[in-house]
Amino acid sequence: MRWEVFRQDKKKDYHTYVGTVHAPNAELAKQYAEVQHGRRKPTNSLWIVPKDAVETVYADDPGVEFGGTTQKDYRWATAYSTDETFAEEIEASQREQEEAERDIAEADR
Amino acid sequence: MDVETVEARAGPREFGPGDDMPEEYRKAATRMIQFHANSEIMGAYLERPFIREAPSIDRKLAFSAKVQDEIGHGQLLYRAAEELGVKTREQMLDELARGEGKFLNCFHYPMERWEETPMIAFFVDGAAMRRQATLKRTSWEPYAHAMDKICFEEGFHIKHGESILRELMTGPRAVQERTQAAFEEWWPRILQFFGPTDDQSTHHDFSAAVGLKTMTNDALRQAFLNAYVPKARQYGLELPDEPRVYRDAETDRWVVEQDDLDWDEFWTVAKNDYDGSHVQIGKRERTQEAVEWVRDAIESPGQGGVTPAAADD
Repeated sequence: MRWEVFRQDKKKDYHTYVGTVHAPNAELAKQYAEVQHGRRKPTNSLWIVPKDAVETVYADDPGVEFGGTTQKDYRWATAYSTDETFAEEIEASQREQEEAERDIAEADR
Repeated sequence: MDVETVEARAGPREFGPGDDMPEEYRKAATRMIQFHANSEIMGAYLERPFIREAPSIDRKLAFSAKVQDEIGHGQLLYRAAEELGVKTREQMLDELARGEGKFLNCFHYPMERWEETPMIAFFVDGAAMRRQATLKRTSWEPYAHAMDKICFEEGFHIKHGESILRELMTGPRAVQERTQAAFEEWWPRILQFFGPTDDQSTHHDFSAAVGLKTMTNDALRQAFLNAYVPKARQYGLELPDEPRVYRDAETDRWVVEQDDLDWDEFWTVAKNDYDGSHVQIGKRERTQEAVEWVRDAIESPGQGGVTPAAADD
């Protein structure tokens, strides 16, 4: 039976996918995940999920439109630069959006 | 975990669903997040009519995107609140429809003209964003996670609101005058966003001690006025003579004359008992009923059930 493993580096971080383990039950899956995915890198916690419990949506599935594939400029802070400076929290939000836009451009290349 | 341990450990994103939190913490966090979630929903209801009434296709697209975002924020927050185990999402939505759920003072007032839209989309959202940015460091981790996504999206909302304000204030004289009138009507409510200055907030001490709140209302108000009074002036809005708001040269801090603000009205609003409260909550209640068939269809597909109805109010 396959289990998907998500590792959290430090407390408060988001869990990210790191790989798979094979195990007949949850108890062994936890032990294998610990050995295979928690030993080298700093780890605060692991999530171990049965493969069958993970649903997947693919970008090329019919009817699926993930972010960045449709033209929606009006949804971005970068589209409304009416001034030169903005409150610090607005600037921070815009920096995050610029980063996301760069990721989208990167993916398009 | 007892309250002393919570206070000792309190810090950004310190506690999550895996922690055994005391009832006081769970109740305080639920009260705070439920208020926030309700406010997202009620704000969206005020803005929804302007999808139809937007003066151009660009504004229409942006307003519909914004309303969609706000409803999504409400859902994220109900999830973060639900994880505390005090109330379910359904309970919180029922409380809102029944008029028992509390929400932001500004969303108890009707918004009828296009010139009013930046009062919410720029000033109220700007004030909310200031507060939300500090909540990325709240001690309830699911709340902080919700803030990550909300703050990511909110930058567009406020810059769009600013763009509307500039467009109006560079438009014909009559439009500028109507915008100034809207500003004068909304400004006192916006000043009340952060509550009274002489801290009458009964929940702050505990919320701050356990890390749910990371900044006082007073500090938030100062930061908001620092950023937004110059913006208002820059676009040609004039602060009305009353309520008196000025910068004290000696302390280098903003002073808002409390006696110039209608606190009876504020506390009536806080009890959901203002005229506008009944109107806004009524809209929410009717919509909640009208779309019961959608919830029905989702919960038990193919079972028939309530007759479909439109949610248009």
